[in-house]
Amino acid sequence: MSNISSPASRGSAVLHLLWTTGPSAAWITLFLVLPSLYLVSMAFLTNGTYGQPEMPLSVDSFRQLAGYGFLGWSPGNLYTLLRSLYYTLFSTALTVLVAYPIAYYISTARPSLRVVMLLAIVVPSWTNQVIRAFGWMNLLAPGTPISTLASWLGLASPELGLYPSSFAVMLGLVYNFLPFMVLPLYSAFEKLDMSQLEAARDLYASPLRAFFAAILPQTLPGLLAGLVLVMIPAFGMYVVPELLGGGRAMMIGNLVATQFADGSNWPYGAAGSILMLAATLLGIWLLRRLGRRLGGGEEVVI
Amino acid sequence: MRQRRAHPAFAVFWWLVLLFLYLPLAVVVLFSFNAINSAATFAGFSLRWYVSLFSNDAVIHAFYNSMVLALSSSVIALVLGTFLGYGLYRHRGRRMGWLIVLIYLPIVMPDVVFGISDMTFFVRLNSMFGILKPGMLTMIISHVTFELPFVALLIYARFVNLDAALFDASKDLYAGPIKRALYFVIPAIKPALVAGFFLAFTLSFDDFVISFFTSGPESATLPIYIWGAIRRGISPDINAIGSLMIAAVLVAALISLIFTLKSRKREGNLN
Repeated sequence: MSNISSPASRGSAVLHLLWTTGPSAAWITLFLVLPSLYLVSMAFLTNGTYGQPEMPLSVDSFRQLAGYGFLGWSPGNLYTLLRSLYYTLFSTALTVLVAYPIAYYISTARPSLRVVMLLAIVVPSWTNQVIRAFGWMNLLAPGTPISTLASWLGLASPELGLYPSSFAVMLGLVYNFLPFMVLPLYSAFEKLDMSQLEAARDLYASPLRAFFAAILPQTLPGLLAGLVLVMIPAFGMYVVPELLGGGRAMMIGNLVATQFADGSNWPYGAAGSILMLAATLLGIWLLRRLGRRLGGGEEVVI
Repeated sequence: MRQRRAHPAFAVFWWLVLLFLYLPLAVVVLFSFNAINSAATFAGFSLRWYVSLFSNDAVIHAFYNSMVLALSSSVIALVLGTFLGYGLYRHRGRRMGWLIVLIYLPIVMPDVVFGISDMTFFVRLNSMFGILKPGMLTMIISHVTFELPFVALLIYARFVNLDAALFDASKDLYAGPIKRALYFVIPAIKPALVAGFFLAFTLSFDDFVISFFTSGPESATLPIYIWGAIRRGISPDINAIGSLMIAAVLVAALISLIFTLKSRKREGNLN
């Protein structure tokens, strides 16, 4: 259909392509590409009196982002960046650790039951993320049973409880993104060839060894797809650190958003946005490259 | 395929994870029935927070805004996304690199950056030309932008699963383009149209971050209202709104489960 050769019909094919995809492409260009280009260019302007960007061109915003202020260099922003990376990596690792046994367990259930089990995993993520975070605020606040138990075990001080804290942020991240790791891993487990695992067992491989030799290589495409779905949005997370973290557990998304809300320094915030966009693209590029190298191939196309 | 058996420890872990997933929701529901204003102690059953919701104008207005936003944005996204999905399918032999980048951009962009880009853009346009004042219209525009790719990918997937020969058959019947669309294309992709609408609606209704940045003072949606209430430290009625939203999700889950099991049964009968 699309490889029609006469010039007239090729012209009409181009026309067809234009009127079917053109409106959407124009919409996204006008309302997302142009705005983000505007935001990127804003980073090179000067911060005006009312927090609005003004001429002349400058790279002040990037100096500020790097931590240079009126009082010289301070490591605050560097800490925020490192903290975002640390939260992202740690919570992703936890998500993987929880998702593997769950995905495997679902794949061993009766087929009619699997639908219900997958739904049970996904349903909490359908509820609004602000409400989910609020639920955790109620669970972890000082004086609640969980906080009391934690302070009794010496894990938290009784006055402060478990929220707001770094712990609460990472818990919130795992909670948010677990389904996005379970689903791709499950579809990998569904196709798993169990004879490899049985062979490993017959050769008296330890469970750990059997996992790395027989299960990990086969579920790798699912794992990489899950990593894209978890790590990239976790790094840019706004709601969870804002509600569960308090001031000391700020992530990069909060740093950026503050500049547009109460901080009102748009060029500075725009420079932070560029950093977030760069990190997103770098993350996707790295994971795709890893996918190709490890033989996941084009299945890891997000 | 041979049935695999999992070690019983997996079952224990499964129930622990379910507890982890549902505990925060259960707490919201439990305390929505609390007789006193406390998130720590439960002092007996009461419906007072639900009753107070219906006399709270801000909540009712926020609900109305959420519905208007979700309905209008998902209708627009459905129309645009259907054309896009159809175009992607009919021209899938071509190399459409830039188009693919455009489609994935709203999906991969961090929602904070998405929201801020649109917010600064709309504020700028408003100060220069007096158009697109932040409010319902700007929210609808931004919501269409992030719903569109999801709808298009759903529609595209449905077309790919159709038998391509059907297209030639419908042409052989000398049907004009409008008749082909009405009697062939639309019925053939109806399940995807329904699914696309509901997906777009849910994405919109659930969204907080992009709405938050593109909204105006009069266009707060339910998630924005809840956010503000948490920020101000007024919490009892949040539990009640939250419980109603959780209930809506559970109903939606039940409906989708019934549909999945039904369509499975139908496929089972065919085989």
